[in-house]
Amino acid sequence: MASTSASAIEGTVTERRGIPAAAFVEDVQTYLSQSGLDANSALAFFQERLQQYRVVEMKLLAQQRDLQAKIPDIEKCLDVVAALQAKKGTGEALLADFEVSEGIYSRARIEDADSVCLWLGANVMLDYSCEEATALLQKNLENAKASLEVLVADLQFLRDQVTITQVTIARVYNWDVHQRRTRQAIVTTES
Amino acid sequence: MQQAGSSGSETEVTWEDQQKINQFSRLNNRFHELEDEIKLAKETNDNLEDASNELILTDDDIVRFQIGEVFAHIPKDEVETRIEQMKEVTSKNLEKLEEEKESIVAQMDELKKILYGKFKDSINLEED
Repeated sequence: MASTSASAIEGTVTERRGIPAAAFVEDVQTYLSQSGLDANSALAFFQERLQQYRVVEMKLLAQQRDLQAKIPDIEKCLDVVAALQAKKGTGEALLADFEVSEGIYSRARIEDADSVCLWLGANVMLDYSCEEATALLQKNLENAKASLEVLVADLQFLRDQVTITQVTIARVYNWDVHQRRTRQAIVTTES
Repeated sequence: MQQAGSSGSETEVTWEDQQKINQFSRLNNRFHELEDEIKLAKETNDNLEDASNELILTDDDIVRFQIGEVFAHIPKDEVETRIEQMKEVTSKNLEKLEEEKESIVAQMDELKKILYGKFKDSINLEED
């Protein structure tokens, strides 16, 4: 079904990154006569729209959860690199207990560290100097935070559209109920 | 969440009303997120308290302090300093979150007054 016309508000967004905006209905009567729909078809259309919004919401929420898990991980890596750098000047080795397997720990003696290896994903690990590693991790952290911000804004936009659609459904439904009551009243007065 | 509309009352919903409803919905969502974040921050605070108490009781010179995924051997004094710093950061964060929560509650009350004023029974803004 082609996008139904409804009195458009100047300056509003019609869609955001693939999410169509829900057009606000100024007056239910005008909307229904302009689009040529009866109440039930309009309600069906809006319900379908609502479903589509829900699907997108699930996807965005999953992405948000991933990013929210990634950010503390990057921060932990930055902490470790900072700890290594701090030890560099002193000439002492850093002793660390690490998990070999679940419940089993071993001790590592880390001598003066000139470089660290960073896991880049896809079975690739690269050697970096401490400074380069810090810079790279910092950049990744900033990117992740920026993506999260955009995602949160997308979710807010989406939720607004869901609210608008829900309110419109309620109004169309009420209008329909009102119409039936008026018609019923006319019928009873005529008989 | 809230619903609008009931027994076919005639109050029209303007774009401004819709925007206020949207704003209320946003605030409500943020309010719930904040409650979760505050709970987490309080837990972290408690854990740090416990950690620093344990630290006072122990007589080891070297404490195993978690950095990233490993436990580094760090002198007790340094660990104390680190934990103090972490406690400060968490309490400031907690304060900020509580403030934001209060502000949101105030804004939501404002909007409730306005929306109930116009729509009375046709709108429900309470938690279900």
